Amino acid sequence: MEAEFPALVSARLGDRVAAVEVFPGTLGRVRFRAEAALDVFRSMRDDFAFDHLSMVGGIDWVDHREVFYVLWSDARRAYVILSTDLPAENPHIESATPTWPGANWHERETWEMVDIHFDHHPDLRHLLMPDGYVFHPLLRSFKLHEPEELEVKTRNV
Amino acid sequence: MNASSVTTASGTAKAPGTELPVVTQPGVPFIEIETLRAKEFLPAAKEALSAMIAERGREDLTQPVFNWAGRNSLFPLHWGLACCAIEFAAAFGARWDAERFGIVPRSSPRQCDLMIVNGTVTWKVAHKLIALYEQMPEPKWVIAMGNCATGGGPFRTAYSVVPGVDKLVPVDLYIAGCPPRPEAMLDGILKLEELIRERKE
Repeated sequence: MEAEFPALVSARLGDRVAAVEVFPGTLGRVRFRAEAALDVFRSMRDDFAFDHLSMVGGIDWVDHREVFYVLWSDARRAYVILSTDLPAENPHIESATPTWPGANWHERETWEMVDIHFDHHPDLRHLLMPDGYVFHPLLRSFKLHEPEELEVKTRNV
Repeated sequence: MNASSVTTASGTAKAPGTELPVVTQPGVPFIEIETLRAKEFLPAAKEALSAMIAERGREDLTQPVFNWAGRNSLFPLHWGLACCAIEFAAAFGARWDAERFGIVPRSSPRQCDLMIVNGTVTWKVAHKLIALYEQMPEPKWVIAMGNCATGGGPFRTAYSVVPGVDKLVPVDLYIAGCPPRPEAMLDGILKLEELIRERKE
């Protein structure tokens, strides 16, 4: 299964997938195109039996952002990682919550921390921070504030 | 039969010296004592009390009573924010037994007069902390337990942490430590009792 997985993914998803890279401990790291996110999610769940979304995360690479999904398949007993790049200005991607309901809070956290907007998310609001919090703290551009400055900015929202 | 014993009408024997004492003065009926008390003693006492209140103020007389009652039955709010709550819980266990000082944690803020902020206060929980504080009836006190509640601790510059709970509610007493031992917490509460003893409205 491990050996033929990249070929299976390419045959199924065609040019929606740019590459399947080797990633230790998983079947591979599937680099897909952000526009085709919904097709990739559905295909991974229905065709490849990845029925559990383990986590969603985001990385700020300064010139672009990356969002990744870790999937687990009970039938295959294996992980796979989906990953895609988003532009640094107005990054947005289709939500995975309609496909895997467990993505809900993960996407809220990703949006809150690295400012990646998830389209068609049912409830995209703050998870770990109070409502109206103005910062996205895991961005590289976020600087550690003096406590007093942070307090004023947080309280006045 | 013993000659010195007294035999009552019902026939049971009584040992000498066990008769009930006389409760009323001979010759003065009980009702007259009560009348005397109502006519002379009570107005006099009332007058003396009024004079004391006029001289020293009502609060000055009643406050020590309330302070005494309050400081001997401090009810802290039973909640925990972080690892200081473990020490808080240990202080009420068998080894330190904080209840011997009349400190009983209560689960409702409406029954509490002491809030022990035991842990890191984040901005997310700040609203809830203020709501809990406002639900507590007056008079109320706040103890900032540990370095995080005192000034943010190691997370002082973090994006999610309130740098000291005194930014949110007035704090009466700070306990240093990371986390403070249960005996440090008990010492803090006993020092707070000394503060309450001297309290004036």
